[in-house]
Amino acid sequence: MTHQKTMGSVLIAGGGIGGIQAALDLANSGYYVYLVEKSPSIGGVMAQLDKTFPTNDCSMCIMSPKLVEVGRHLNIELLTLSEIQGVTGEKGDFEVEVFQKARYVDMDKCIACGACTEKCPKKVEDTYNQGLVKRKAIYALYPQAVPLKYCIDADHCLMLTKGKCGICAKTCPAGAINYDDTDKTLSLHVGAIILAPGFKAYDPSGKEIYNYDRSPDVVTSLEFERLLSASGPNQGHLMRISDHGKLKKIAWLQCVGSRDINTCSNGHCSSVCCMYAIKQAIIAKEHDPSLDCTIFYMDMRTHGKGFESCYNEAREKHGIRFVRCRVHSVFGQPGETVGQVIDYVDETTGRVTREIFDIVVLSVGMEISEEVKSLAENLEVALTPGGFARTNSFNPVATSREGIYVCGALQGPKDIPQSVIEAGSAALSAGASLASARGTLTQTLTAPEETDITGERPRVGVFVCYCGINIGSVIDVPAVRDFASGLPFVEYVGDNLYSCSQDTQDAITQVIREKKLNRIVVAACSPRTHDPLFQETLMNAGLNKYLFEMVNIRNHNSWVHKDHPAEATIKAQEMVRMAVAKVALFTPLVEAELSIDQNALVVGGGLSGMAAAKALSCQGYHVSIVEKEETLGGQANHLYMTAKGESIQDGLKTMVTEVTSDPNIDLFLGAELSGVDGFVGNFQSTITQGDKRSSTTHGVTVIATGAGEYRPDEYLYGQDPRVLTGLELDKKFIDDDPSLKKAGCAVFIQCVGSREPGRPYCSRVCCTHTMVSALHLKEKNPKMQIFVLYRDIRTYGEREALYKEAREKGVLFIRYSTEDKPVVTNSGDRLTVTVTDHVLQRPLSIQADLLTLATAVVPYRDAKLAQFFKVPINDEGFFAEAHVKLAPSDFAVSGVFLCGLAHYPKPVDEAIAQAQAAASSATRLLSGKTINTSGNVAEVNPALCSGCGVCEAVCPYNAPSLVTEGKEAGKARINPVICKGCGACVASCRSGALQLKGFEEGQLMAMIDNF
Amino acid sequence: MNRYTETIQTLAAKLLETGDVKTVLGFKRGTFPLTTEPFLATTPADTGELYWDVNCRLNLATYLKKEMGKVAVVAKGCDTRNILVHITENRIKREDVVIIGVPCTGMIEVKKATEMAGGDILYATEQGEEMILTTAGEEIRVPKAQLLRQNCALCAHPNPVIYDMLVADPVPVQTGMDRYADIREIDAKTSDAKWAFFDEAFSACTRCYACRNACPLCYCPTCFVDESRPQWVGKGTDPVDVRTYHMLRAIHCAGRCTECGACESACPMDVPVRLLTRKMEKTVGDRWGLEAGLTLDARPAQDIFCLDDPEEFIL
Amino acid sequence: MSSFEPKIITFLCNWCSYGAADLAGVSRFQYPPHMRVIRVPCSGRISPKMVLAALRKGADGVWISGCHPGDCHYIEGNYYARRKFTLLKEILEFNGIEPGRLHFSWISSAEGVKFAEVANRVIDEVKQLGPARVFIKKSPEESAA
Repeated sequence: MTHQKTMGSVLIAGGGIGGIQAALDLANSGYYVYLVEKSPSIGGVMAQLDKTFPTNDCSMCIMSPKLVEVGRHLNIELLTLSEIQGVTGEKGDFEVEVFQKARYVDMDKCIACGACTEKCPKKVEDTYNQGLVKRKAIYALYPQAVPLKYCIDADHCLMLTKGKCGICAKTCPAGAINYDDTDKTLSLHVGAIILAPGFKAYDPSGKEIYNYDRSPDVVTSLEFERLLSASGPNQGHLMRISDHGKLKKIAWLQCVGSRDINTCSNGHCSSVCCMYAIKQAIIAKEHDPSLDCTIFYMDMRTHGKGFESCYNEAREKHGIRFVRCRVHSVFGQPGETVGQVIDYVDETTGRVTREIFDIVVLSVGMEISEEVKSLAENLEVALTPGGFARTNSFNPVATSREGIYVCGALQGPKDIPQSVIEAGSAALSAGASLASARGTLTQTLTAPEETDITGERPRVGVFVCYCGINIGSVIDVPAVRDFASGLPFVEYVGDNLYSCSQDTQDAITQVIREKKLNRIVVAACSPRTHDPLFQETLMNAGLNKYLFEMVNIRNHNSWVHKDHPAEATIKAQEMVRMAVAKVALFTPLVEAELSIDQNALVVGGGLSGMAAAKALSCQGYHVSIVEKEETLGGQANHLYMTAKGESIQDGLKTMVTEVTSDPNIDLFLGAELSGVDGFVGNFQSTITQGDKRSSTTHGVTVIATGAGEYRPDEYLYGQDPRVLTGLELDKKFIDDDPSLKKAGCAVFIQCVGSREPGRPYCSRVCCTHTMVSALHLKEKNPKMQIFVLYRDIRTYGEREALYKEAREKGVLFIRYSTEDKPVVTNSGDRLTVTVTDHVLQRPLSIQADLLTLATAVVPYRDAKLAQFFKVPINDEGFFAEAHVKLAPSDFAVSGVFLCGLAHYPKPVDEAIAQAQAAASSATRLLSGKTINTSGNVAEVNPALCSGCGVCEAVCPYNAPSLVTEGKEAGKARINPVICKGCGACVASCRSGALQLKGFEEGQLMAMIDNF
Repeated sequence: MNRYTETIQTLAAKLLETGDVKTVLGFKRGTFPLTTEPFLATTPADTGELYWDVNCRLNLATYLKKEMGKVAVVAKGCDTRNILVHITENRIKREDVVIIGVPCTGMIEVKKATEMAGGDILYATEQGEEMILTTAGEEIRVPKAQLLRQNCALCAHPNPVIYDMLVADPVPVQTGMDRYADIREIDAKTSDAKWAFFDEAFSACTRCYACRNACPLCYCPTCFVDESRPQWVGKGTDPVDVRTYHMLRAIHCAGRCTECGACESACPMDVPVRLLTRKMEKTVGDRWGLEAGLTLDARPAQDIFCLDDPEEFIL
Repeated sequence: MSSFEPKIITFLCNWCSYGAADLAGVSRFQYPPHMRVIRVPCSGRISPKMVLAALRKGADGVWISGCHPGDCHYIEGNYYARRKFTLLKEILEFNGIEPGRLHFSWISSAEGVKFAEVANRVIDEVKQLGPARVFIKKSPEESAA
């Protein structure tokens, strides 16, 4: 047998939010990552979004910390302008050929000052802004781009195409332009590959019916997103595009390029368009409350967490109009008249109605581009007929080729949180297959030993940067430098052409050592981008990295005061004075180190809990599962078949066998948690099993407690044996109940207990589940008459195919409204279901033998568990994750993770993906073995503390607590491991007992005193 | 002896006899007319000193300390609200305090009484709705309502909101009074006039901190005015320092102050310090619909928030 | 009055508003050089006493900017900040500090334009008021004079 090599590295294709998340998960778990992105910078579509639904968070704000982390990660190698060309080898040892286009800008030299762009004479369509405006041939993708390095568009650059111009090379103060740069082909060895290439938005051009080609006032939703954005072409000011006239009416047309096999061949639902249309309409209304916003739709698909209430608010609070009609076409008006004409059938009158809109937004769907499809073919990764990666519900991110995983839209159309979940799942799966090589290719930072400066008088060094001409052309840099030399404690001043260049870094290191400087101020650009770089310089000089302060005399000064050089210089001097006053009060900060107990606890032994346990065990960790029932499996025990047609009982059996026989997994059945102490890294839990109590220590906890099925009190449920819930019908399927075949007519009622007052959310799984059940009934008895009474059909993603198949097989769909619910009566031999037909507007009486109620998924609202781990429960009773978009499987409380139905209703594949994502987050922590906290944490001076508990009340992370015993009983204490350094407790403390290190009261006061 | 005093003494004696508490914190007669003093009764015999009248202006919550062990305290409506704040702020445990609640008909203001009597008052007695004020020369009868402190005249919670026993049946609660007429009057002034108004109003402040010492909420081990690193507010009577002190104290008490009036009653210079705390009280009520010290279920206003708190002033 | 060059102490939260100021720079949106920025991790870090200190020190205006509600990097810091600012604004105005000297805003890191607009607006309002006159702590030498 030959020795199979295992590489401790992973290649991720695609630098959108999915690829970014997977890269961070892997790189932080001991694997080296190549992040291959075809554009010049990472960020993907999320970087183009203005806001994200349903919370309308600013997309860039929530994303940019992740961008920066990727950009600076020691173990992530960013390969931009790159694409995979071919893959050979197999799981554990792939050889990947990557084609990298020439950038023509030396990334090491480019300081991203933008001087080149300003002077470049060639204008090109700006793809980041969806072609709504022009950019230059030399450009950065967007202002916050990572890497923030410019790039020449070789197809348009005059120098590269015609051999004349060369202005950028002359303008560039750093000498970064290299017209002789060439394309390269790289060969990379990796253990696993993750495909995260994302989607292509459906392109409506060429389709006359939308009038998109003819009128600028018909835009795609991505174009509209840029129009809404403050960083977009109109700085977020909404106007008619054709004549810049005032907007009064906007229409959104849903399902453009989705659920459509006539105009195009996209049978799938794109899953996100309903929500983004609602979001855009709400934001448009926020821009101008008098706007008339109308959304034309077929079914409103607001099936995610918080979506339904967002939909309700859009209607009730924001006055957005929802019209159920698939609009056939959009056309312009004769001559110069502005306005887009839409004819639609008004459901209430049944008549064709005409309305004119200023802007029509086409809610375009997601599809997989031809390039990605051919890449998949090249990689031997099987796709579905719809073009998405073929996966299995029990292994939701594994492609048909072993060792190649998928996440994000290629796996199926989905929103950001689901992509982030899959990214975690893919990272976990990729990492698990390489666990033996963990840490073999990663690097760790080594810095020289830190000089002890205790007791030393401050010796401040001030370095003022010209940033080429970026600062130097406005601010008198020597004057600032000389001013600084006269400030208290300043021992050394200097100026640099580029403070960030490698040679200057070395020079600064030298000066620190020579002059024995113990506090450093750099007046240059933004600490948001450059703090880490200079902190590293300090470390290299043996100085504690917290003895540093940056002064932003570029972004906050020279760039914004270019016509006021004298005042700008004074301002720069005063800014430096403030910083020197602050830095003089700095003390070296220690990053507390905490060891992480290498065991995990999973609460809940359902599908999610087992998947999480299995995932953690694969990573080499010991796991305890606490399950309240005597058997594993949870709700899956009652489920028959997945949307993809897999037997859930078979899948479950396999999982149970694996979990039961896994030596790394301890099972506590018929058990519950009766006590929890400790925090991230060091939890101690007590497990009670009948009379037996055992205790366990664990570094992380995964909450996978699931949810229950709603027991209705309507539609004769509980009074007539022919009325079943969805799970009860599945039970009959599992038992192959012969009575089912005999039924001549079956009826399903959707949304029983969901989307109602008191339980306003959509239970997400029931529409698909009903499709699967109806089709199975049809299979058993093709002659059976089947009716589905629904409100909106929500077979999102490729599940739409089931809806189509059901209709093709003769299942009849009748819509009802909550004001006019179906009525069920017992008519002896049969059940009579009366419902008003939405097309005929007449009551319809159905004689049924079987009535299945698609009942809600109901959270357990486990307050005790929430209390144990100090994690929140939302209004609906589900656990509330740390961030709905970017941390769907994490809690704000460190070391506690979330998956499955306890988070929100979801089908098998999504539950397993989330379990793996939770395990991935947990692995990130566990694999570090220790956590280093930031030095910028809050601290209590017990002598000043009154014990009032305000810190405890305001901290969202539970970092402060009151000491219960000993000399300091009753006083607050901050756990530095949990503290995130926001300072809310400090500002709330009346007694002055709290300090936020690095932003201490005295330090901020010193700045105020010296402004 | 009035009925309240009698009941307080009886209840206190019983608590001490049964050993339910170690100490009863109440009032005793002051050395001077129209004054009372805080008093700690530790034996049943001590309870004879306990006393109640319209001069119990102090808020005894100020004297509650964890170290006292189980203690009973005599408390008016406003005082009980303050005790409640103390419980939410971990100052004292509910089970460690027995609250002898006093349904309160209001405390009088010495200055008003003296002015009314036209000379030093030798003694004063309460008779129904009237006060009998005796000076060297004469005896005058004044409706008590005319002598009430402003906070008592405007009181919306005269009955204890939390108690273990009551010394009498609850008193009627007045409604419909305009609590903030004077605040609105200042609000209506121009900025310069406001500044000048307070410059004058606070000019008498000597920074003696009687207000702070009388306030049960000012329990910080070190007050911000005494901080030295950084020492950012001067300790003298510079008007800007004086104003800084009073403004920040009002902010610190915002959402916690129960309008017991102890601060102003304690002030030897008649500085209207409550104008600032009441401005904050009004803000907390107007903006967030909150009143301090009415529930044990929520922390004070600044320790909590609502997603849709008004923010029209934020750009 | 045209020669009046106000100084405005500006507290910006690191994650949103400081980012917006950075973006305004990248975009070269111009505003007058009157701001002196103090970077804080979160608007929730800003205590009323810092604002009082800035005014006492003679700042002609104070501007505080954080993340929009819901955007806070620390989940809810800006909600507590909003309560603090409400009280602070009320007490300062009640005491005769002109409303135009104290400004609050929510600016996301994508709103470079808004940053420049608000900066200009704050400066305009402070300029109209002229130099701060009251609530300035004089140094001992000044008070002696």
